[in-house]
Amino acid sequence: MRAYARYAFGRFLQFLLVVFIGINIAYIITHATPIDPVEHTVSVATAFGHTAPEAIESMRQSLRELYGLTGSPIEQYLNFWRRVLVADFGPSLSAFPSPVSTLIGRAIPWTVGLLGVATILTWIIGNLLGGLAGYYRRSRLLKGFGIVAMALHPMPYYIAAIILLIVFGYLWPILPISGGSQMNVARGWSSEYILSVARHSMLPLLSLLLVGLGGWFVGMRSLVSNVVTEDYVVYAELAGVSKRRILTAYVMRNAIAPQVTGLAISLGHVFSGALITERVFGYPGIGSLLVDGVHAGDYSLVLGVTTVSIVGVSLAVLVIDLIYPLIDPRVTVS
Amino acid sequence: MSAAMRNPAAKPETADGPVVAVRDLRAWYRLRLFGVDREVKAVDGITFEVRKDEIYGLAGESSSGKSTLVKTIAGAMRPPLEIVGGEIQFSFMDGTMGLNRAPADLVERVRWRHLSYVMQGSMSVLNPVRRIGTSFFDFAFRHMGLDKAGFEAAVVAHLARVNLPASVLKAYPHELSGGMRQRVTIALATICRPQFIIADEPTTALDVVVQKDVLAMFRSIQREMASSVLFVTHDMGVHAHLTDRLGIMYAGRLVEEARTPDVFARPRHPYTRHLIHSLPRIGDDRPRSGLEGTPPSLANPPSGCRFHPRCAFATERCRVEVPPMEQVAPDHRVACFEKDRVEATP
Repeated sequence: MRAYARYAFGRFLQFLLVVFIGINIAYIITHATPIDPVEHTVSVATAFGHTAPEAIESMRQSLRELYGLTGSPIEQYLNFWRRVLVADFGPSLSAFPSPVSTLIGRAIPWTVGLLGVATILTWIIGNLLGGLAGYYRRSRLLKGFGIVAMALHPMPYYIAAIILLIVFGYLWPILPISGGSQMNVARGWSSEYILSVARHSMLPLLSLLLVGLGGWFVGMRSLVSNVVTEDYVVYAELAGVSKRRILTAYVMRNAIAPQVTGLAISLGHVFSGALITERVFGYPGIGSLLVDGVHAGDYSLVLGVTTVSIVGVSLAVLVIDLIYPLIDPRVTVS
Repeated sequence: MSAAMRNPAAKPETADGPVVAVRDLRAWYRLRLFGVDREVKAVDGITFEVRKDEIYGLAGESSSGKSTLVKTIAGAMRPPLEIVGGEIQFSFMDGTMGLNRAPADLVERVRWRHLSYVMQGSMSVLNPVRRIGTSFFDFAFRHMGLDKAGFEAAVVAHLARVNLPASVLKAYPHELSGGMRQRVTIALATICRPQFIIADEPTTALDVVVQKDVLAMFRSIQREMASSVLFVTHDMGVHAHLTDRLGIMYAGRLVEEARTPDVFARPRHPYTRHLIHSLPRIGDDRPRSGLEGTPPSLANPPSGCRFHPRCAFATERCRVEVPPMEQVAPDHRVACFEKDRVEATP
């Protein structure tokens, strides 16, 4: 227990460090862009008609304060961190005057809901089938599945997505091709709304499954076929331990550990994966928000989305790391 | 032993019949590479018995077929290894084909209850992510006919016999030292008091001090339970120390078998003589001579007696005919045409 506490504490410090470095990089990059958001806003606001220079100057002044661009660079930097800690990223430029945090808060459930579920579902199905395929090497069904999964795996994700869109949106139009839910259905816990959300998530989910399954399947299959020849599995077989217990407690249990690490990494891809998926399927998540923000030069939005992704990804990895000793008790030792 | 622990599938034990009898066993690796058949005759016509309450040692150099023989008897064969001919008869099981051809449910009942196994490389036979206690439960619970509390008490009592504290049950294998792990595997293999234990190089990975302790423990448990043990190692020192009878293997065949002291005192086969004479002795500092040549390939073994290319006594007959195993003294069998000449030579 003591060893675990030490391990958990160490991992937590690491998490804080990663978040700190990540946000700093995001800060530097956004502040190094050639687009000055204040001048951009001023020029947009003053593009039509005549504005008095004093009015422009006071507008510039208030925008600077709004964006936290007053004072020396060090003051700006400290100010930025003060605002990050209370999750205040200022107002969005492109959707002025909505605060960035409101926009992100609205988008996050969509992204986490779709990509989080897709990632975990892909992981579970891929590992389960891969594990069975590695253990029951002679099964024709599992062999066939392996071939299909392997054929789909190298396909670029957007191609698979677009093929699905063409097949189910155009050739055989049974599923909605865009959006997160039907426009005219009120939000809430009504069955109609939930059904609508589910229907809209079908195509993106299917596309992620199709492309993602193969990797987990093949990885787990080869892990299992290695574990099967380990001494402790052979020994348990010689001891007459039941097949079922060998498969679950001896084979799968030991093969799964590296795959859990893989899951942590792929949960990290939820936010970056969101970019393409949400773009192709017009899904109202954080990826779409980020792309819109970049196009509009809305750097408080970009910074906000980036910060949230950094924290989200690190948090997912931290959670996996904290449960990892349950899967492999050897990690707390080192 | 309670009545519930007895296995209904088991035959009533005969008083002094062998626990396992192997007759003319042949087990080959049959490979097919690029359309060419290749047969590796790792076990080629072996006959021997392991009696009740004895430790039968099996010695021989690497690639002499020891491990293959053990795998075949334990029913741990995987393709391309297969039984080509011969019989394996267990006292606790009907039928003569051993574990490989017996019905699965019978095999499941016999394993660990009547026949257990201490494996080569015992360091890695425990599941690294399972607590020792859980492994005991997996392996032995269904054979013991006890409730959980009773089972745990029995395990703790048995661990005490190998000088292990009850706390190891809560430990993971990586938290134990090599010697402790080895004792755990011995406890695991003996908890059900099986009639027959196969031990395949169980102490090879341990240093000599730990090895001595473990062997002594093994011996005392075996004496207490009156089990029969088939003990395989290439280490003649271990054989001298532990086994009651000893079989010497060379290139897939048994070449000599006798009570262990007789093997060391009066070896009749030239190969056995080389093995014994190569052992260092206290006070004798003459250089030891190694055996000329290399062990033969089992895929293409020499004709006749397989030892003839390395044998100083070889005659024309040895090159052509396979010498049969013949009794030369009580409990002493040798497969050599020139055994009398060998014995006459100092």
